[in-house]
Amino acid sequence: MPFKYYGGVHPDEMKQPTLATSYIKQPPQVVIPLQMHIGAPCQPLVKVGDHVTMGQKIGDNPAALCAPIHATVSGTVTAIEPRRHCVTGDVVPSIVIDNDGLDTPCTDLAPLTPEQLKDPDAILTRIREGGVVGMGGAMFPTHFKIQSGRGKVDTLIINGAECEPYLNGDHRTMLEHPEELLKGIELVRIAQGVDTAYYGIEENKQDAIDLLNSLNPAQYGVVIVPEKVKYPQGAEKMQVKANTNREVKPGGIPSGVGCNVVSTFTCWSVYRACYEGRPLIERVLSVGGSAIKPANVMVRFGTPIQHVIDELGGFTKPIDRVVLGGPMMGFASFDQSCGLIKGISGLLCFSEEENRDVEHPTCIRCGKCIQVCPMKLQPIHMYMYTLKKDYDNMNKFHVTDCFECGSCTYNCPGRLPLTPTFKMGKSMLKARDAEMRAKAEAEAAKKEAAK
Amino acid sequence: MNEEKMLYHVSGAPFVRSKIDTQRIMLDVLIALLPAFCVSVWQFGVQAIIRVVVSVASCVFFEWAYRKLMKKDSTIHDLSACVTGVLMVFCMPSSVPLWMIVWAALFAIVLVKQLFGGIGKNFLNPALAGRALMLAGFPALMTTYVVPTSMAGVDAATMATPLGSLYDGAATSYSLMDLFIGRVPGCMGEISALALLIGGAYLLYRGVITWRIPGTFIGTVAILTLLFGGEGYGHVEWMLRNLCSGGLMLGAIFMATDYCTSPVTPKGQLIFGVGCGVLTVLIRYFGGYPEGVSYAILLMNLLTWAIDKATPQQQFGISKADMKVADAEKKATKAAIKAEKLQKEVERLHAEEGKR
Repeated sequence: MPFKYYGGVHPDEMKQPTLATSYIKQPPQVVIPLQMHIGAPCQPLVKVGDHVTMGQKIGDNPAALCAPIHATVSGTVTAIEPRRHCVTGDVVPSIVIDNDGLDTPCTDLAPLTPEQLKDPDAILTRIREGGVVGMGGAMFPTHFKIQSGRGKVDTLIINGAECEPYLNGDHRTMLEHPEELLKGIELVRIAQGVDTAYYGIEENKQDAIDLLNSLNPAQYGVVIVPEKVKYPQGAEKMQVKANTNREVKPGGIPSGVGCNVVSTFTCWSVYRACYEGRPLIERVLSVGGSAIKPANVMVRFGTPIQHVIDELGGFTKPIDRVVLGGPMMGFASFDQSCGLIKGISGLLCFSEEENRDVEHPTCIRCGKCIQVCPMKLQPIHMYMYTLKKDYDNMNKFHVTDCFECGSCTYNCPGRLPLTPTFKMGKSMLKARDAEMRAKAEAEAAKKEAAK
Repeated sequence: MNEEKMLYHVSGAPFVRSKIDTQRIMLDVLIALLPAFCVSVWQFGVQAIIRVVVSVASCVFFEWAYRKLMKKDSTIHDLSACVTGVLMVFCMPSSVPLWMIVWAALFAIVLVKQLFGGIGKNFLNPALAGRALMLAGFPALMTTYVVPTSMAGVDAATMATPLGSLYDGAATSYSLMDLFIGRVPGCMGEISALALLIGGAYLLYRGVITWRIPGTFIGTVAILTLLFGGEGYGHVEWMLRNLCSGGLMLGAIFMATDYCTSPVTPKGQLIFGVGCGVLTVLIRYFGGYPEGVSYAILLMNLLTWAIDKATPQQQFGISKADMKVADAEKKATKAAIKAEKLQKEVERLHAEEGKR
């Protein structure tokens, strides 16, 4: 029985889990940013004019916190140049590959031998070589997460909540590849060195829960935990709380309380990297929103957003916003020629229908934001003090503890832009801290010089 | 797509919003007030309808006119002025002259609400403030209660409310059932506890209010009146009569839960409810005027910000043990600072001693 946590909201699900994963024609050109994950950016391993095969490693960095990047199509490298990153908007070095349409597979990675499949270190190395990162959206290199958790982590939690509206990628993976998924979880479990992995799945995926349970998950060391349907059930801290009743400390990470959370699609990617020798080059993208025909499509990374939209028949209504990721924590896309990256699980095309913003947002002090904040914060006061740039009170009301789930903003009847303001507030605090530190250092240096 | 570059709307997450907005909440409150309105029409006839219409119309007009004069965007579409209008007239008797309602609306909307910045910024409940002003200015007119329809046989033009007679010690003919259903004289919207409870249940179901303020408010009044008792009735009946008479139900369910004049923190809401209850009982027992609900709520309104400040939420991930450790650390640093000061003081004294 999962444990309860405070707050949370119940947005309309809008999911299309019955649509089987479809495949689209691959784009004539892919744009692969060299920085898809948290950590050190990759250095290109290929030159302009090189011919690459599908799955060939094209970027890597020896730094510990880094995952390599692979070619997602076979073809010719036509440019290595700065291009816009679809989420951050920064101009980052990217590799542009012209697709030859052959999808010639790369044979660098052989499937692991049965002995290697039992060896935690071999699995870990393969997870890194396969370029597997956290597919829930954070894109944290999975091998690093597992490695840094060794010795600290006693509970492995697999995240199958998929609590965001519109998204079905994890659900489809559970239904279409249940056995591979369980094997993938087993690999992660072996690499982590624990006996049991708790697989938390929201109860709105009952068909997937039944299917996985029918495959005797115990033989893989997996326990399925059906969880209450509530957003943000899939947030790391909420998964840890629901499965173990432990609370991650403010500013801490799950491994601080002996837990590691790995997402569903990551586990399946681990399976493919280890059993099939296929690096992470594609993922299920849930397409939804009122301005496009809904679909669950398998897309290669680097596919321009516009290509996916065109392949699915284009917009059916005048477009208002294009959203990358889920509607609660995603990002508004600003340029449809950018290539998709590993962490993006949804492509939502919203028309005016979904837009409930108002011209003059007004707080009516209803306190509904406080009632739903899973971090038990007081968004109403955080908002007030952030707008005033009252740094002391921002700290007092723990603006930095907000993990931007968007529950308060979703629930706000006055339509205040709470979460975007907190994002801004967090970077303001960070900038101020840096400034203070620089000042202190400068003063110390001055003193040193005076001596 | 034509040559023109397509522009997209870009904003921060989240991109979906709940269907419940301010207007919908206010509409829910109006819906929840319907049963009480029906009872008042049953008891006071067309007079009740006229007064509600006049009150709502003047509240909306003053809100619109003020915003227009101040060149601000109109806010009448959020229906909060309608709610104020209905609530204000619900705690006045049906015989109150229309001009008084208009004055009260002007005071409530312009002075109490708009001058502080409009919805969400006023610190007093506008409806109650309007009522309080009228009660202070025209006490006789505000406490003249006409005979309701269900008591048409009574040989009098006006009569005292059950709450008044409860504390006067005068004998009354009202049964508890009369009080509960509303077969009594009194303010237009206050008479029927049943109708107000139905409205409250609807608000709870819709999630507009939580149980915290009305629950603790009514609970506190119940416990205190049960403990202290009163003349002429057994303790339990005394308590029930206290709960069903006067403005307690209307106040606890609709007035004290007013968003912008009540605390936002869950703990604060509990304190607020208890405070309202205690003040109500104190005023009823010891005050010169039998009805204590409206002044109790107004007084607690003034404490709202202080209560909010005093009851911050304990953030996720901090256990009680952590709190203890943090407290101990705080104390230790304080003690260390004190010791350091003391040390310096001692050194300074020593130095002075040395100089001498």
